[in-house]
Amino acid sequence: MEKPSWTPIVLSGAVPREATDLLAILVMGIVAVEASLAALSPTLFGSRLWLSLLVAPPTCALASVSTTTRRTREELALFAYGGSGWQILLRYFIRGAIIALVAFSPVILQEFLTTTSILNLVAAVIVLLLTGGSFYSLPSLRRIRSSSFVENYKS
Amino acid sequence: MSSVIETRSVVVEYPSVKGILRLYDQGVSLKVDQGDFLAVLGGSGWGKSTLVNVILGLEKPIHGSVSFRDHDVTRESFVKRCALIKTAAVFQRPTALPQMTVSQNLHLALSLAGVPRKDRDERIKEALAFFGLDKIERSYPDGLSAGQRRRIDLARALAVKPELLVIDEPTGDLDGSATNLLIPLLRGLNRNQGTTIFMTTALPRQASQAKHQVHLRPPLYLTPENRMIGD
Repeated sequence: MEKPSWTPIVLSGAVPREATDLLAILVMGIVAVEASLAALSPTLFGSRLWLSLLVAPPTCALASVSTTTRRTREELALFAYGGSGWQILLRYFIRGAIIALVAFSPVILQEFLTTTSILNLVAAVIVLLLTGGSFYSLPSLRRIRSSSFVENYKS
Repeated sequence: MSSVIETRSVVVEYPSVKGILRLYDQGVSLKVDQGDFLAVLGGSGWGKSTLVNVILGLEKPIHGSVSFRDHDVTRESFVKRCALIKTAAVFQRPTALPQMTVSQNLHLALSLAGVPRKDRDERIKEALAFFGLDKIERSYPDGLSAGQRRRIDLARALAVKPELLVIDEPTGDLDGSATNLLIPLLRGLNRNQGTTIFMTTALPRQASQAKHQVHLRPPLYLTPENRMIGD
């Protein structure tokens, strides 16, 4: 007698292979490496702001690509309302920069209170805003430039 | 009379499993004058929506040109075309922003179109009432039916009071009563306010309501051997 099996469903999708899976692995990997390095040598990695910044790009990219369907609808609507590509990109760039700034605010505050070089801190914050904004808006740029984007207007 | 839109020998091609899909093999050449109401009639897959996208600058033809008020805009974006002619577009698929209410969607569209703040409320109220959306103005599009979302798009386009209204299959997703209202509304808009209308439809009865009609021809497939086969 033929017996149904549940294993193909599990095994065919158990291995992480999507872009979002890889981004999640990257984020957790960076955090894990940072924690290990700090434990190994607290003095060398005492100022952890720069190392922490490595987490911003993949996290912002992950936030952006994990809502692709909804985001595409937003972009289609904004174009239909008369918006331009750069306005849409700016919208997401600012959103990404805010996300990064809010998330890193405890580290920035700590650095502000303890740092001896304010310039170093300002540079780190600028890098943070640029990477957060860029990596949040890049998936949109890729989408709206693709030839298949306008196909979404058709049913 | 100066033409609002003019296309000359426009041809579009797409790669497909059957070969290269060529729309408008002979090239679409049409002219829409100020105050005209043109209906483009064609079957499913004949390129009606693609022609709308080409007119709006969302897709580029491989041959031919598009002019807005005698300016060649073939390679220009939708925004640049809107700067030449105040244009509103209604696509086949509803496009309301999901995180905004019906009313907020219209506010955003009017604000992007440069409608003064003091005029927005009145225009939105009128448009929502006309399309029977006044009771759901605080609802979010995702909770509404396809027909209601279609009406949001129509209300948004008409509230802008465009010089040119480009509308792709206007009665798709609408129920019978809304369909019966819409074509007379478009005719009234065209006649009373002088709005130039470019509409596509698959229904000959609907196309016959327009002042002029253009009939599309079925697409062709170009095989790798460059043989041309009919659909």
